[in-house]
Amino acid sequence: MAEAEHTAPIQMEVQLNRAELPLLDSAQMLYAMLDLRSKEALNISRRRLNLALVIDRSTSMRGARIRNVKMAAMDLLETLQPDDWLSIVSFSDRAEVVIPPTPVRERRSFSSAIASLLPRGGTEIYQGLLSGLTQVERHASPDYVNHVLLLTDGRTYGDEELALHATQQARKYGIGVSAFGIGEDWNDVFLDTLARKGGGVAQYISSPSQMREVLREEIQGLSKAVVKSMSLRIEPLAEVHLSAAFKAAPYMELFPCDEGDKTQEIALGGLTAEEPIVLILELVVDPQEKEKKLKMLHLQLEAEDVHLQQEIQIPISLSPEEREPPARLFNFLERISVFRLQEKAWIALESGDAKQATSYLQAAATHLFDMGYRDLAKSAMLEVGRMAKGRTPTGRGRKKLRYGTRSLSIPST
Amino acid sequence: MTSKSSQVICPSCGAENLPGTLFCVQCGTYLPSGGPLRTEPIPDQEDEQSARPPRKKEGDAQARAISLEVDVTNSGRKVLLSAEREILVGRLDAAHGIFPELDLTTDGGLEQGVSRRHARIYTRDGTCFVEDLDSTNGTFLNGERLTPYLPYAFQDGDELMFGTMHISVRIHSESERQGSAVAPSAPDEADEADEASEEEALS
Repeated sequence: MAEAEHTAPIQMEVQLNRAELPLLDSAQMLYAMLDLRSKEALNISRRRLNLALVIDRSTSMRGARIRNVKMAAMDLLETLQPDDWLSIVSFSDRAEVVIPPTPVRERRSFSSAIASLLPRGGTEIYQGLLSGLTQVERHASPDYVNHVLLLTDGRTYGDEELALHATQQARKYGIGVSAFGIGEDWNDVFLDTLARKGGGVAQYISSPSQMREVLREEIQGLSKAVVKSMSLRIEPLAEVHLSAAFKAAPYMELFPCDEGDKTQEIALGGLTAEEPIVLILELVVDPQEKEKKLKMLHLQLEAEDVHLQQEIQIPISLSPEEREPPARLFNFLERISVFRLQEKAWIALESGDAKQATSYLQAAATHLFDMGYRDLAKSAMLEVGRMAKGRTPTGRGRKKLRYGTRSLSIPST
Repeated sequence: MTSKSSQVICPSCGAENLPGTLFCVQCGTYLPSGGPLRTEPIPDQEDEQSARPPRKKEGDAQARAISLEVDVTNSGRKVLLSAEREILVGRLDAAHGIFPELDLTTDGGLEQGVSRRHARIYTRDGTCFVEDLDSTNGTFLNGERLTPYLPYAFQDGDELMFGTMHISVRIHSESERQGSAVAPSAPDEADEADEASEEEALS
């Protein structure tokens, strides 16, 4: 089915839900599961880090939020190694470099700067992000994991496109971006897009006390990367279309597929030895006229010193071999289907179709309940109840569902 | 010669799906027919490869398990858990929002190969089920390794193993409580008030 080449620290395995496709006079759906795993054992030497911590210090951060951000920043210093580099940028309406890139061993200069952060002003993410990217770039080198960690609790207005563009540009220089939303008021769609373009993660911090753990975990993930930043090129061949691409693990994420351009480039971030990355591709195959071997996809995975290529084929047959879809693929699809329903609900709601949104969310709740995820099902029904009464869903409910359903497939290590 | 094909109509919402679609795009219902040329396998009670959770008919519920007494063999720790809600078995990982009801971190979970999201235990119509969540080192019921994502029914006194960690489970059931929830109902205002106060506490 597939030909892999090169000896790389990564292996890419592809599984389809069918062994053969029936010969049909209409278009049909097929699913592919891509497993990206590290071949290396667990004892990989730690990567050195070159990070910028970009902290929102707008007025809304007053109180427990800024206190916890400061504690998390201090804790970060403990988690980092002496030869890691860190810079700290704070932003409100404008950005301020609190500490330029400095080796972490010079702890004392960090402590007083962190303590001096005062919440004041609005939220303009682009200013802060750009300054963070600039600081990382000053010390950027292939020997380091170069990454920006953005912490915010608010919405930015009018500068989203600039921020996304800057993130995309930075990827070309090997600088990644992760985003952490605190509380309920931040724009989840924007931070998700930002992190996706930055090859990082977007995470929901529902209580200030989670902040330390979340950052610590992120640092560990970055420093344990077997490969730093991967990008996957998916090229559907003639008679095949990519209708959707999802990351199923470590957490769910939808990659928007541009209609016009058939070939998709996906930024995948780093891969650790513990957590495989699983992608699910939804493919539409054109009507077929005769039995043959159909060349469907060409996959190309690029990372530092890694060039993997694979071509996926499937036989078209009048009497195709029937089999159950592999259980693992089936279960990812089941969870993705729920994740997708609730995503569709928010999109329908934004376009003003509350009835459709309610119906999607109700369907998601039913499946969550059926799968045994009662807490999430209850949250969904709570929002369905509000919408049925003509009220808008709560920010908390929406984030709980969006980030809760995407964690349904968190893999096990 | 090609086969005449038509769209797959979802039995639940009536939406049209392309042949081969596994979950209805409109309502998420599993479309087992999967397309015009697909033969429906005859349901086999013994077939454990089926990826669907076994379902019991309503009315089978005679007893309803309400709590589980879990005995972690190596640490000697005993935990009493309510089975009214799903129980996640694993190791705490706050960063990824993993808060297992049965957290085996302090029992040497990491060393004994317990995954962060290792397995889940839940009750349906009075029967307890354990489902491995594609854990690295597997879940075992009375020595038998479970196929990931398939629920297996277990009984009072059964021996479970997560990775290499042995656990025995006693089920305390209460037969007078009957009835099974078929679909979740919209929680009332009181629940909303709870959520709101929780929200205040966090900000």
